Amino acid sequence: MDRQVVWTIFGKEMLDLLRDRKTLIGTFLIPLVVIPFVFFLLSMSYSNVEKEARAYVPIAVTGTSKLVDHLRSQPGVRILSPDRPAEALQAGELRAIVTIPDHFDQALRSGGSARLHVAYDNTNQKSVYAKSVIDSAVQQYSSDIVSMRLRQAGLSAEAIKPIETTYENAASDERQTGGMLAGIIPLMVVLSLASGGVAAATDLVAGEKERGTLESLLTTPIAANQILTAKLLAVMVMSCISATASLLSLSFVFRLGPLKVDGTVLSFGFLSPASLAVLAATIVLLAALFAGLELTLSTVAKSFKEGQTYMTGVVILAMIPSYMLMPIHPVDIPALYYVLPVFNGVALCKEAFYGAVDPLHTLVGLGTSLLYVSVVIAATARLFRREGAVVRW
Amino acid sequence: MIEVNQVSKRFGNIAAVRNVTFSVSSGEVYGLLGENGAGKTTTMRMMATILQPTEGDIRIGGFSVRTQPVEVRRRIGILFGGDVGLYNRLTARENIAYFGRLYGLTGARLDQRIDQLSRMLHMEAFIDRRVGGFSRGMKQKVAIARTLVHDPDVILLDEPTTGLDVTAANMFRRMVAMLREEGKTILFSSHNMGEIEKLCSRIAIIHKGSLRYAGTVAALRERCGMNDLDDIFMAMVEEGGR
Repeated sequence: MDRQVVWTIFGKEMLDLLRDRKTLIGTFLIPLVVIPFVFFLLSMSYSNVEKEARAYVPIAVTGTSKLVDHLRSQPGVRILSPDRPAEALQAGELRAIVTIPDHFDQALRSGGSARLHVAYDNTNQKSVYAKSVIDSAVQQYSSDIVSMRLRQAGLSAEAIKPIETTYENAASDERQTGGMLAGIIPLMVVLSLASGGVAAATDLVAGEKERGTLESLLTTPIAANQILTAKLLAVMVMSCISATASLLSLSFVFRLGPLKVDGTVLSFGFLSPASLAVLAATIVLLAALFAGLELTLSTVAKSFKEGQTYMTGVVILAMIPSYMLMPIHPVDIPALYYVLPVFNGVALCKEAFYGAVDPLHTLVGLGTSLLYVSVVIAATARLFRREGAVVRW
Repeated sequence: MIEVNQVSKRFGNIAAVRNVTFSVSSGEVYGLLGENGAGKTTTMRMMATILQPTEGDIRIGGFSVRTQPVEVRRRIGILFGGDVGLYNRLTARENIAYFGRLYGLTGARLDQRIDQLSRMLHMEAFIDRRVGGFSRGMKQKVAIARTLVHDPDVILLDEPTTGLDVTAANMFRRMVAMLREEGKTILFSSHNMGEIEKLCSRIAIIHKGSLRYAGTVAALRERCGMNDLDDIFMAMVEEGGR
């Protein structure tokens, strides 16, 4: 194969694509601007709700007890007395209603137990937070009662809590960051790889067929395989650019802070040379697989619009494994997933981000990916050589 | 230079071209006449190796479109009418240079050829502008330059004046006459009889995929006993329809 010709076509395709507004928006603007913006808005909205929930916790209390003093001592708690508490709770004016039965304190002082009723709205995050505040006050009051009973019985606090447990998180900051990123990043990377090449693949075959430029290209002394190779490379590059842009924008979002887990220092130390190599190989093979599929569909399509419709299938194909694997911890990924197409790429991405690259998984995952890529590219090349697929009549 | 030998092309059950035979000599401008859908473009596409004949063969410069398609493509330049197939996001120069490189032209040789074509077709004013905003006539000039960039021996022009205004069509006909002077072999398809008569020494008439006539215009007039080419064409088409 004359490589110079492939580079000539590739260079032209890249120049053409980088001057196309649709491609630029799909490849750069969405990953670099829209994704961080959406994440930022979501995180800001979440932290605002949390801030408001902590700052003002209006609750209604019926009945009397020392528990009310504990409730009042909780930060943000205001005891209100609306005429219709149930309606106020529904309307969000109250976050919870605490109903204290008669003789509540008397029953507790006499060594018995008492039942407390708390009404809250599980669909309202602020009401759920109020429930946790009430739990905390009840816990404090219960501790007072237990301490009093133990004193009366001549026992110390250790009598009912003989074992003191201390917990230490074994995961390093790198591991915690990687674990957190292993959930979301493979999803974003795989979706970017699938969607980043869509505009390019549609334009480079279905679009060229529609505009008549592919026909002109086929009259030059260039083999169809050389044309396909150059187009495949161009689509792969656009996919990889889109995935890299997604990675960069997500790193930026995570560095901004709102999504960080409390107490975790964001660290990218989990990306060892080995995991970076696995990640790079996985991304390239996934990009080749998606590019092959997208070019096949674009070749089958009779028009640009038809091509766009077919491309939805590729994005869905990427979404299914990404979402299925998203909640699974890297060490719990079933062995079968390292063999299935796209699943294997997502699984390897998760391992790479978790910093736990398994050589056998890598071998199987990359090997099967290479096989799928070869099959798809061979099928695309076969289709591309068929006169009916690339020329409109 | 061009030998079309008992060529047929079928798309499924539809016969687009049936047993067509004619030949074009070196340095000749040959007209291919026919209504829309007669099979002219399919014949041109087979010559350009985009489509393969179902039966028969075409030889260009001695090379078979079936067995030596790359050699055939090296020797031809094809210009399609209607949609001229240019890259709208590239400049005129980039469009021409891209095709030049695909034919193996590089460096100063390519630059000189582009400058030469730009002067010849009066494109200096817009050679470095993107093609997307061009008029039909300007696009056609760029497409001609792209077709000629590698200085092909054989030029296939498939309804090249379709959609052009009178001035642009005249410019185009002058250019074909100039290429004829240079000794190029030109196959010119059209459904415009006057245009064909002005440019071509011999013609072939295709109707519903079959060849109705191949020879000189004078012999055709003598055979039909009519002088007006439009009348002759209509008579042949009606005869073919019966």
